[in-house]
Amino acid sequence: MDLFLSIGLDAVSYVLTLLLVTLGLVIIYGMMNVINMAHGELFLLGAYTVVALQAVGAPFWVGFVAAPLVVGICGLLIEQIVIRHVYGRSIDTILATWGLSIAIKQVIIILFGPAAISIANPVPGSVSIAGVDYPAYRLVIMAVAALLAVATYLVVYRTSIGLQIRAVISNRGMAGSLGVNTRLMDRATFAVGAALAGIAGAVMAPIMSVDPQMGVGFLIPAFLAVLVGGLNSLLGAVVGASTIGGATSILSSVMAQASAQIGVFLLAILIIRLFPQGLWKETR
Amino acid sequence: MMIEISGLKAGYIKGSHVLQGLSMAIDKGQSVALMGRNGMGKTTLMRSIVGHLQASAGTIRFDGADITNRPPYRIARAGIGYVPQGRDIFHDFTVEENLRMGLLGKPGLGTQVPAWAYEMFPILEERRSQRAGTMSGGQQQQLAIMRALLGKPQLLILDEPSEGIQPSIVHDIGTALRRYADTQGLTVLLVEQNLDLVSLLAHHALFMENGTIVERVDDISRLHDDPDLINRYLTV
Repeated sequence: MDLFLSIGLDAVSYVLTLLLVTLGLVIIYGMMNVINMAHGELFLLGAYTVVALQAVGAPFWVGFVAAPLVVGICGLLIEQIVIRHVYGRSIDTILATWGLSIAIKQVIIILFGPAAISIANPVPGSVSIAGVDYPAYRLVIMAVAALLAVATYLVVYRTSIGLQIRAVISNRGMAGSLGVNTRLMDRATFAVGAALAGIAGAVMAPIMSVDPQMGVGFLIPAFLAVLVGGLNSLLGAVVGASTIGGATSILSSVMAQASAQIGVFLLAILIIRLFPQGLWKETR
Repeated sequence: MMIEISGLKAGYIKGSHVLQGLSMAIDKGQSVALMGRNGMGKTTLMRSIVGHLQASAGTIRFDGADITNRPPYRIARAGIGYVPQGRDIFHDFTVEENLRMGLLGKPGLGTQVPAWAYEMFPILEERRSQRAGTMSGGQQQQLAIMRALLGKPQLLILDEPSEGIQPSIVHDIGTALRRYADTQGLTVLLVEQNLDLVSLLAHHALFMENGTIVERVDDISRLHDDPDLINRYLTV
């Protein structure tokens, strides 16, 4: 029983963090039809923002607040320098953002070296949940991720800005002809999507080994989550992240890491074969 | 002049123009019908005016300002409302959300749908929380027109508003629009094949052929009295 509970909690915390990365991907894809291969490196930049601030003696929470700002600004620059030149050319976008991801990784290696760096756990100790001792910091991660996911949902579905974002996603030309500044919307969504990945990187840094390759570890499951859940929908991202994240955590608790990965890929292939549009079809 | 177009060239394939140096102008407060057979470039002209299609030569001036090749949102904010062919309402949004989209993009218009919108087209109030995509063609057309009017345009562009809509509804829409245009001093550019709607709404007619304006009819009643005109430019 205790084992199930702790596996369950692990799964929930992984799913929620994966959701933050996936939400950014889905928003950016839905809005601009840009498949951002550098999204994992935005996660990486969030983690290294924490590393950089720890190196100058700042407490973890300073890095946690700074990460979305730093990565959001990086997102703005990336949109301005690279993405806006390749709008509407999906293959070029993949190549350009892939190149960008390599460049970001190399810059990180130049600045911080290739070795893994560890971040001190800001909330040490554990909390007892129904008799199971669970690391307190993992609960913080869950709370942060859940709050951000709910906030993103509320902004997109319950505010005037969100209505305009959905209008641009649904019909860019018409939204423009109603006066919506589509250029501003592109920039803002890209920055917010980047910032979400940045927070995810920062919040995960203390429980992962921070190294220049860590972005890929989140990019691939996030892409699988998008494919499994269905494009163009935030709820699809939730379904996809739950499926992929949940399967990954549960399988890795009962078998070796490599076998678990194979299992998750097989599951994803099966789902995509049976539900080519994704598990969640937008109904409204 | 509300809008003045000169020497406009535009098309979909590089080097090949649908609009071949088109010039036209509309006075403030006038309603003009643009007529012609399919494939003559009417919709291409509309799309060029609202910025969905880039012009390769020529200028479009709106209320004195050059708006050629500006992004669509700037053209909309300058005061051009657009009701495209096929309406392009947001199917997944409610009727009210569609109407709010007419306001949100324009600074200073607030976020709440004013009462006059529902007074002009009462069906929209009845259906306000219904998904727009579930409404009939005529209702969707009223929604698309109202969404454009809520943005307080000086010039309203309508592309084939009667397409696929029952004649009685077309007549109602035309009457309501005529009244609105008269009281608000709205300028209207209407692409239309339906002669009833044209004679209800327009003061003048322009005929288009092969990417240019070939004839101007100042007295709209000539459309009914002069079958030769219709034969020449409209019948296939």
